[in-house]
Amino acid sequence: MLRNWSCNPLAAYLRFLVICLLLQVTPSLLAQTSSGVVRGTVSDESGKAVANAAVTATSTDTGQKQTANTGPEGTYQLDLPAGNYRLKFEAAGFKTLEISSAMVGGTVPEVVDGKLERGEPVNGNPAPAQQENLPNAPSSSTTAPSLSDLGLSPEQTQGNAREQALLDKRTHMLKIHQRMGLITTIPLIATVILGPGAGGKSEGTATRDLHVALGSLTGDLYGITAYYAIRAPRIPGTKKRGPIKFHEAMAWIHGPGMILTPILGAMAFSQKNNGEKVHGIAQAHGPVAIVTAGAFGAALLSVSVKF
Amino acid sequence: MNKRILIVFLLVSLPAFGADSEWVLQQSTLTYHVSHPLHQSEGVSHGAKGKGVCHAGQCEFLIAVPVKSFDSGDSNRDLHMIQVTRGAEFPLVTVRTRLPESDATASTINADLEIQFAGQTAQYKQVPFKLETKGGETHITGAIPATLTDFKIDPPSLLTMPVKNDIPIRVDMSWRPQ
Repeated sequence: MLRNWSCNPLAAYLRFLVICLLLQVTPSLLAQTSSGVVRGTVSDESGKAVANAAVTATSTDTGQKQTANTGPEGTYQLDLPAGNYRLKFEAAGFKTLEISSAMVGGTVPEVVDGKLERGEPVNGNPAPAQQENLPNAPSSSTTAPSLSDLGLSPEQTQGNAREQALLDKRTHMLKIHQRMGLITTIPLIATVILGPGAGGKSEGTATRDLHVALGSLTGDLYGITAYYAIRAPRIPGTKKRGPIKFHEAMAWIHGPGMILTPILGAMAFSQKNNGEKVHGIAQAHGPVAIVTAGAFGAALLSVSVKF
Repeated sequence: MNKRILIVFLLVSLPAFGADSEWVLQQSTLTYHVSHPLHQSEGVSHGAKGKGVCHAGQCEFLIAVPVKSFDSGDSNRDLHMIQVTRGAEFPLVTVRTRLPESDATASTINADLEIQFAGQTAQYKQVPFKLETKGGETHITGAIPATLTDFKIDPPSLLTMPVKNDIPIRVDMSWRPQ
């Protein structure tokens, strides 16, 4: 009976549509190959991190510039279109450092560290510390308190590039999860609407075939949606709070429901095709589908609208 | 005799003119506000640390807040906030300002702020704050008109709709001189 179902030409056509949709949804995945990251640490001759240094990447092809400042730990990151770049490191009290070529692209970040020598910048101009002459702007006097005066722990002050990469991957996967979840809603609603017609007393098979095809499409899209949520990296030390707990609890209802509904549907489909009235456990197909769709909708709303 | 009086006077008056005095941040509540067509959300941090050092009539202040200390009541949103602001790589928001020591007795001040956040530095001119001194503590309230573009942060989106660019930060701090 499952064979009949999978051979449904409408279902095959809709599966083809899924592939087309996926190509639409995942341009960001594909885009990863056309952009890249250059990151690194800026330090002085003694290896001490230089904070607030300006790192400017200039494309050797287009001349476009992008600047980032180093953080308290001297680290920086630039997200750039793929290509070859010239990097310039500038900081107040240091000579300007230029690196003539850095290739950006692919999935592995390009690591370019800058070691600055003390002294005036090479061009004689002050480094662009983005400091204007404001009436009461912060000065660089020796009395100014530093981060070490505040009693912050090293975990609070040191950057963690690995954790950032994990967060980036998590967000990337959850964005796809979100988009796929929204797309899944469309065939899901259509399948539910067609449900009564497909299971009614009508002898015609057109509505039933369409219901099966849309249900099949929903199942495929749901599987992809679930994959991106399940495979998104977990961030250690994070305690779940807020609507996400309800969102995840709903998955324990719509997840099994999305497995059970097509199984029961296939049984009902087979019974109807044999000219029988839907009977036995297959009768639960409709109610299970409604509960599943309801849980899916509640999960979507819980993270979309603030109640 | 007069010489002795003069020496004593100079010794007594030296700390008033030459020595530094310090301010320490006692408690703080920093709240960012994010607007989205479907959501209005706020993240609150009580984790700021701050110190002010005064010398020759000028006070230099430094306040640092761990990005991870902001709590919006939704762990998913907080993680997303940390990701878009590159909070794992740049874990602190630092605010620096310099104020005349005499401002401690004023009821309002306008401060020029230099904020480092998300690997970027932004300056805000003449941000108004209210001051109230009670029981030896100075209570400061105000709002910093921050925006996402100030720090080159891509606006996060929900259901394909991005949040607004403005992310005003309400400040409520109590400082005590040491």
